[in-house]
Amino acid sequence: MTRLAAILKEQKLTYTAVASRARLQPRTVRQLASGETSMDNVSVGTVRRIAEALSVPTAALLEPELPHPGDPTISREARLSAAIREVMWSNGPAAYASPLEAAAPDDIASLTPDEFFADMPPIDDRHG
Amino acid sequence: MTVTAEEVYRPVDASDELASGDIAFLSLTRSRLVGEAPPGDAYDPIGRIPAYPRPALLPLTHGREVAIDTMFALVVNHSCEIDRQKNLGASSDHFDCRLTVAPIVPEPSVLLVGAAGGEQAVNWTAIEANQPVASLYLPLIVDVSAVAPGVDPLPWPRSFADLRGLTTVSRGMVAADRLFGLAPGYLGMLQRQLARFFTWRDIARHELVEALVGRRVVDAIPLNAKGDRLRVALTADDGSSVTVEMRGR
Repeated sequence: MTRLAAILKEQKLTYTAVASRARLQPRTVRQLASGETSMDNVSVGTVRRIAEALSVPTAALLEPELPHPGDPTISREARLSAAIREVMWSNGPAAYASPLEAAAPDDIASLTPDEFFADMPPIDDRHG
Repeated sequence: MTVTAEEVYRPVDASDELASGDIAFLSLTRSRLVGEAPPGDAYDPIGRIPAYPRPALLPLTHGREVAIDTMFALVVNHSCEIDRQKNLGASSDHFDCRLTVAPIVPEPSVLLVGAAGGEQAVNWTAIEANQPVASLYLPLIVDVSAVAPGVDPLPWPRSFADLRGLTTVSRGMVAADRLFGLAPGYLGMLQRQLARFFTWRDIARHELVEALVGRRVVDAIPLNAKGDRLRVALTADDGSSVTVEMRGR
């Protein structure tokens, strides 16, 4: 969840209401709140107007710098540590399609890999 | 059957060969038509993987775009496939963007919902037992530094590799941000899940089913039911038949 989305939720405001106060298109606010458009990609004036409409400091709308794979400015260990914090432990859960399609397990689900592959002939040995 | 972190993970040194089961921090791409969205309001409006809060979007021509999620992901290629180019004489650092990876979905980031939109209470119990065909369970690690020396002593939540999100990345990207790998004993479970995921719709009967396309079914005889599944014998107007398994909803 973006910081803007969290503030909107906290203040119980709609995109339209904030857009009206900030004199922006509701679509712009929605895209910023969903993360579809980054705060980095809009003008400083737009960020300020939203901040004023919400009565929060401009900095409250800016997302923290996230770790990026391959970032040469920090060590691999620091990069991976930051990634675990940021990616594996997010602020709030979001809906995600479950991989579970049936409540009851099928016959294969209880087989160990050895049992599952027991009757399989050797696969082309030339390919290792 | 519940597995422990000791049974599932192994440390990986930066100098180790890339292998099946490697887990790395990666940029994963999905190409799509502009405006394509997941079904229903329950899901993220732009279809990103929920764990990553700031996706990137690259516009393409003709109404196409590439969505990028930056996530940890699991390499699913067989190690022999990864090594093949090298075995054929290519250098070990040859260019190759064909490492297939599955994004890792952490429990704290998601509320798993079923096709009908409701949250499923049994989800994680089933995932932990590797019951779904599309997931590989990855257990909690109390202290990641135990399997990834040098990394901060952080917990790693229980999670699963989602085989529905397979995409490809380069060898260099995996090598640059590899965290740890799967233990040899758990690679068999990865292979079992891959086999189930790609064949669970009963590939063995594919030709029989294809032969029925265009035919009129003249008889359907229920055979037996097991759980929510019902086996039915179908007879076509040319006398051919096939037995199919139907699942109740």
